[in-house]
Amino acid sequence: MQVTLKIFRYNPETDKKPHYETYTVEAEPTDRVLDLLEKVKGEQDGTLTFRRSCAHGVCGSDAMRINGVNRLACKVLVQDLGTNRITVEPLLGLPTIKDLVVDMEPFFEHYRSVKPYFINNDPPPKKERLQSPEERARFDDTTKCILCGACTTSCPSFWLDDQYVGPAAIVNAHRFIFDSRDQGAEERLKILADQFGVFRCHTIFNCTLACPREIQITRAIGEVRKAIATGRLD
Amino acid sequence: MKPRKVPTPGWNFEYLMWLFIRISGAAMFLLALIGFVGALAMGARTQMDLGTLMRWTFFPNPNHVLNSNIVDIAPWANAYWQIMQLAIVFFGATHGFNGLRLILEEYIHSWGWHMFLRLVLLILWLITLGAGFFLVLTS
Repeated sequence: MQVTLKIFRYNPETDKKPHYETYTVEAEPTDRVLDLLEKVKGEQDGTLTFRRSCAHGVCGSDAMRINGVNRLACKVLVQDLGTNRITVEPLLGLPTIKDLVVDMEPFFEHYRSVKPYFINNDPPPKKERLQSPEERARFDDTTKCILCGACTTSCPSFWLDDQYVGPAAIVNAHRFIFDSRDQGAEERLKILADQFGVFRCHTIFNCTLACPREIQITRAIGEVRKAIATGRLD
Repeated sequence: MKPRKVPTPGWNFEYLMWLFIRISGAAMFLLALIGFVGALAMGARTQMDLGTLMRWTFFPNPNHVLNSNIVDIAPWANAYWQIMQLAIVFFGATHGFNGLRLILEEYIHSWGWHMFLRLVLLILWLITLGAGFFLVLTS
């Protein structure tokens, strides 16, 4: 089948403003959008720039807006889009560096701000810090995050004000706040109770719909809010 | 699983207003329901048109039923319904102005403008409350 790809193009060295270019490629219904982008880059226009790494939905490099929805290009099949006209654009809310590549630094700055690492000042035990299967299950959903940015850049609250930490940072804070071995919950909750923390979330659910790992993000944000209100982490 | 507890970050303004928005939203539904039941008890089924019923439901002020066929309004012009009106004015105005604050603060990012607009909204909120309370207490 023939697929028409309309791709957002912007080269800061030559273009005054972004524009769209259209390419027609031969594709199988089972091809992924990433395959089509590779085909355009390899056969038609080598200047097309986009991020990719593992190409199997694990590294989170190729999050982009495909037909208006944030997705991983390596996880979307042409047949799933239900059309042979595909529009590909960079993620919203982050500055575009070139074509489909956005500057992820503001995103990672928010990620770092919630201390997304294990905090425990007790001396390490001889073997390991034990945890029951139930305690591990408590935060299992949020361990699945691959930091692709699809959630944060689909969030209207983040589009309006990029000082909001965004859903991805809250998800990664949740992963440690509810970890029974961790001792940093108090400081993380304090950070997230701030003016630009969880109360900026208006439960729009765009993040949950956008997440390629199907993390229940809005639920995680709600649980963090509840922890802020009650101090209970169970 | 043993329960884990940490000290809460405490009552900061954002948390308080987030909580208030939810409580006041629910409260306004409850107040309207009470107003509606009150109107029915007053004889709305036969003595009021739909517009009058709605006006009383959302703001149970005796002036709103003056032109209806309710024979005796006097029992409904009392302190209880005045308190209901004051509660509606307070919850409605505060809920609305806080919503406006949230929208403005999402669109405007400078700290100086935030503070200025908060002050403007605070003044407008007080004027609205003052005017509303004046209306309720003098009618």
